[in-house]
Amino acid sequence: MSVTAVLHSEWVKIRSLRPVLGALLGVPLVTTGITLLVCANADGNPAGGVEFDPVFTSFLGVTFGQMAALCFGVLAVSAEFRGAALGSSLAAVPRRGLFYSCKLAVAAVLALAVGLVTALASFLGGQAALGDCGVGLGTPGALRAVLGCGAYLALLAVLAAGCAALLRGPVLSLGVLIPVVCLVSPVLGEMSGAVGRYLPDRAGQEALHTTASDGLGPWPGLAVLAGWAALAALAGWRALERRDA
Amino acid sequence: MTSIDVQELTKVYGPTRALDGLTVHVRPGRVTGFLGPNGAGKSTTMRVVLGLDRPTAGSATIAGRPYRDLDEPLRHVGALLDAGAAHPARTARAHLLTLALSNRVPAARADEVLEEAGLAKAAHRRVRTLSLGMRQRLGIAAALLGDPEVVMLDEPTNGLDPEGIVWIRRLTRRLADEGRTVLISSHLMSETALTADHLVVLGRGRLLADTPMDEFIAGHSDRRAYVRTTEPERLRELLDRTGLKGEGDGDGRWSVDATSAAHLGALAARDGVPLLELGDEQASLEEAYLRLTADAAEFAATASHAAKEH
Repeated sequence: MSVTAVLHSEWVKIRSLRPVLGALLGVPLVTTGITLLVCANADGNPAGGVEFDPVFTSFLGVTFGQMAALCFGVLAVSAEFRGAALGSSLAAVPRRGLFYSCKLAVAAVLALAVGLVTALASFLGGQAALGDCGVGLGTPGALRAVLGCGAYLALLAVLAAGCAALLRGPVLSLGVLIPVVCLVSPVLGEMSGAVGRYLPDRAGQEALHTTASDGLGPWPGLAVLAGWAALAALAGWRALERRDA
Repeated sequence: MTSIDVQELTKVYGPTRALDGLTVHVRPGRVTGFLGPNGAGKSTTMRVVLGLDRPTAGSATIAGRPYRDLDEPLRHVGALLDAGAAHPARTARAHLLTLALSNRVPAARADEVLEEAGLAKAAHRRVRTLSLGMRQRLGIAAALLGDPEVVMLDEPTNGLDPEGIVWIRRLTRRLADEGRTVLISSHLMSETALTADHLVVLGRGRLLADTPMDEFIAGHSDRRAYVRTTEPERLRELLDRTGLKGEGDGDGRWSVDATSAAHLGALAARDGVPLLELGDEQASLEEAYLRLTADAAEFAATASHAAKEH
């Protein structure tokens, strides 16, 4: 079997489903949209005594955009479980490891590309909206935050894709992912401390900050998120490999 | 030789034994009809052959290799399982295209098979908007995509209009004549009788029969001849004297059990009974099939009864 051919096929699968493309497109739209709203209204009170992080402020939209990234990851995989499509897919590519890794690779690359564009747009737009308080890409940590934001969104998509392969249905998958990724850490708030730092979103979003935090730091944080994503991808692979299609 | 070889195949789903040590070989160059009541294991067999379901024991190979080891399998095996088996939001053509691309089948083939399946006009319609018959055609189009030597169709006539049914009949005949291996499951006896050369019959996951169509019918039905006479009394007398059992329909046509037209004709000629019509009654596949499955059910009942008594 040709890996390129399978990758190509997986790309066409994503391209040919509007909801999947819609979720992907939602990532930059939601992220930059919310960021612009927040930044345009934030320029009145930035100075204060509290540490103001103009870089992180321009990524505030990510909190919402990440939901689109999760939807994208879930839908890209759960599409196989609709209308018995998986049967056709596995009859065409019976090596399930190859099938699954190509699917995840295409989803990850798309999410990374869109994530990087999103990050750049959100950063530049946000900084422009911050006006006088805005900073440039040359600010220490800014470029790292942009790259980190792209990686963050891509890793979330992989995490979601893995979960969808394990749980099959999109409703169940999002029902687990949205609370775990988007709700648990705000609810736990600051009191989560030592354990909370290792939550996927908390760890990954370290990369978006330029001021010191009590978290894991940007790269270790992304590494922890990558660990979560790898775990989910592996669990999904095992489920796909073992179950009858 | 691209035969499908199923060896001692067992598949257990929870408490259900869908396949129970099934061994069968499906040969090329003929249409093999795959019969059996619902739940006999026909679909399961096909799913295991395709590597979609894992066997509990035993093996299934195509041309001696497990499906998983086939390089670009759509070029060797084409299968129709559930109608369409496609994402409802994808267009018919996009569905075929994704399959073609993964196996490096030229994209133009997608249009060819759409045309062949009578779906050219529906190419850009989403699968969910297609009728069951059209989804069935799409599934068959997908099976033909890679121009495979082995074609497996699970209930292809489901939901098809009469035109579609005739199409399937001609298609399977043509594929077999081209030397391909064709396995087609159905519970429509009359359709199978018209389509298949060879029969594989399953019951409760076991092989009940694996024989050519005509042998199957002959072996699982009674010989019977029919005769029409102008002198029914003399015929009855003849039958009584020779120990044959016959039944008249009151209109001069008689059906005579356990004999052939040749034998009955000779008897009548010797006695000078005038005959208007004479011939062997052709048992239908349905009759033969029902006889076989009834015997099998009885056997199973007796066997389990016997087992309980021990």
